Amino acid sequence: MKPLRKFAQSLTDGRGFDILLVAVPLAFLLALSGLPLVYNVLMSFQEVDMFSLGSVVRPFVGFANYTALFEQPETWPIFANTAIFVSASIAGQFLIGFGLALFFWVNFPGASWLRGLFLVSWVMPGLVVGAIWNWMLSGDFGVINFLLRESGIISGNIFWRSDPAYALWAVILANIWLGTSFNMILLSVGLSAIPADLYEAAELDGANLWQRFYTITLPMMRSSIGAVVSLGLIFTLQQFDLFAAITSGGPNNASNVAQYWAWDLSFKQYDFARGATISVIMILFVMLASVVYVRSTRQEVRG
Amino acid sequence: MSIRMFLMAGAVALAAIPALGVSSVGAEEITLRIWSLDKPEQPAWNLAREFDDKEPNIKVEYRLIQFDDVVSEAMRAYSTGQAPDIIAIDNPEHALFASRGAFLDLTDRIAKSSVIRKENYFPGPLNSVTWKDKLYGVPKATNTIALYYNADMFRAKGLDPDKPPQTWDELLSAARKLNDPASNVYGLAFSAKASEEGTFQFLPWVQMAGGSYRHINSEGAVKALTVWKTLMDEKLASPDSLTRGQWDSTGTFNSGNAAMAISGPWELNRMSSEAKFDWRVTLLPVPQPGAERSSAMGDFNWAIFSSTKHPAEAFRALEYFASQDDKMFAKYGQLPARSDITLPATGDARKDAALKVFQEQLTFAQARGPHPQWSKISKAIQDAIQAALTGQMSPKDALDQAQKKIDAVLG
Repeated sequence: MKPLRKFAQSLTDGRGFDILLVAVPLAFLLALSGLPLVYNVLMSFQEVDMFSLGSVVRPFVGFANYTALFEQPETWPIFANTAIFVSASIAGQFLIGFGLALFFWVNFPGASWLRGLFLVSWVMPGLVVGAIWNWMLSGDFGVINFLLRESGIISGNIFWRSDPAYALWAVILANIWLGTSFNMILLSVGLSAIPADLYEAAELDGANLWQRFYTITLPMMRSSIGAVVSLGLIFTLQQFDLFAAITSGGPNNASNVAQYWAWDLSFKQYDFARGATISVIMILFVMLASVVYVRSTRQEVRG
Repeated sequence: MSIRMFLMAGAVALAAIPALGVSSVGAEEITLRIWSLDKPEQPAWNLAREFDDKEPNIKVEYRLIQFDDVVSEAMRAYSTGQAPDIIAIDNPEHALFASRGAFLDLTDRIAKSSVIRKENYFPGPLNSVTWKDKLYGVPKATNTIALYYNADMFRAKGLDPDKPPQTWDELLSAARKLNDPASNVYGLAFSAKASEEGTFQFLPWVQMAGGSYRHINSEGAVKALTVWKTLMDEKLASPDSLTRGQWDSTGTFNSGNAAMAISGPWELNRMSSEAKFDWRVTLLPVPQPGAERSSAMGDFNWAIFSSTKHPAEAFRALEYFASQDDKMFAKYGQLPARSDITLPATGDARKDAALKVFQEQLTFAQARGPHPQWSKISKAIQDAIQAALTGQMSPKDALDQAQKKIDAVLG
């Protein structure tokens, strides 16, 4: 009886409470993220079809799913597309987002209102955004072609969704629009945390605008930028709605990316094992990226 | 409320759940679970309710499933022992379930039935429920594709609207004459999308030219894909045909931005209200005069899961559904998969004329497959279409590659 009471007591005051605080979220994480992750990895080493979906014990095939995947001619182009999609989306979202954040930081009248309005794009569901971009990017009647044509930039229509040279960029364009405001808000928060006296002192010392930006703003923003970029990586790697709504990965896989392909294999062709295999490869990439992120922010001093 | 009280309340609530469950078992009625994608204005939803009202001892639980989820939900349910009694399944997926014994063999029941008769059905739909000479379902409805054309535009360009294109060459030359980029008119609208829709539209062309999904790189199939490529290369159809489904493509026909369109009877209601011109329908053009006709075959089948505990009642439900086939078009605008039913006149002359053509086209409609791995075969065909139409491969090379993938599936 005594140890039990001791345990109960430690729950209200002492280490037991600390352990409880850690254990609950940990159990939550394990059940809702850990298990599916392990299940996914397991599935990538098994032969899975629709009728063995319900059981965990299935024929083990070793790396057969992986070798078969890399024997498919479309595999490397799709992974290359994924890399282009992720880097171009993040670059676009970040540069425009940072530009807007700096712009609103000037704090002209109405700046905070306008900044709030920008968030509308982030609030919209991806499928709705995709459907609207789908119309705007339409080759024959799309408003983007209309604007480009009227302003004399192009002479013939560009078939954004159906020309293999443009299809991926059409989705990137939509994704940059979708993610810019989120970048802007996070970076705005980072900017407002920089003490104003730093700039005052630098100005007194005669630092020009560019020097102030390069030696004060950027270093002070390091952790914000790291967070934004790594979140951007996660968001772009899970961007699915836009592909489904705009190009469906076509034409001829020209705009197909790993995450859409994994879904297509699993739920359109019912090849769950191969879908899981692609997911595992994606997980490895995300882990690699997070290691880089953690290392890049490690030497930071945090208050 | 203190925490203890709260927990007590929770425990009481939990205890009440099984009690409720027990009380409903008392009656002698059985429950049939029916899954379908039909919404309240469509057949299955209403038929299920009518059957529920008609049979005092059978309770029907209807569940609406979205199109994209039908197969994955059914797979999950079957593999975990939770399958419904009856399901409506898209016809190319039928063999996947039938070949694995997931669907009940209905051959003997159909042979004895006075309502469901094999000979009343079109050959295409019937073939889609057949696996190894046994019947594993009953066609629910059917559709096919044919050629819509704008007779006003035909007249304006000096073509005879009473002599629509009959062959591929005539189709191409008509499309060239009708094509009018200056006024935003394409010759033809169709769908070469990288989805089942693309296969659905392309396969009839292959079949008319003597090929099939098993021989996708046959000479005729290469010719078919070359015609498609000509349509794209000469901009006789919108380049967006590559990423646009049939519904959106035909929308451009309705708005007067395409002079012809390949699509199915599901367009009739929308076209009647939207298209402000003289539109007509003709059979799908063939490779050369006298060539074998063919067309696509779409829509869903009814099937009974082999795990059902009430096969007799489930079959009675299918019999009831089939007995209502004659009202299907009038009530819901869908075509019954049966040749013994004459569709009632709608009073709309254009629609009635179109329906006659579709009824004739249906006699040539062929099921996709049936093959348990249809989705993979279809994907290989879609990839070939897209590779050829984007100019990344020649039609011959693209179809050779598809053949290799299909051979691997066929084994």
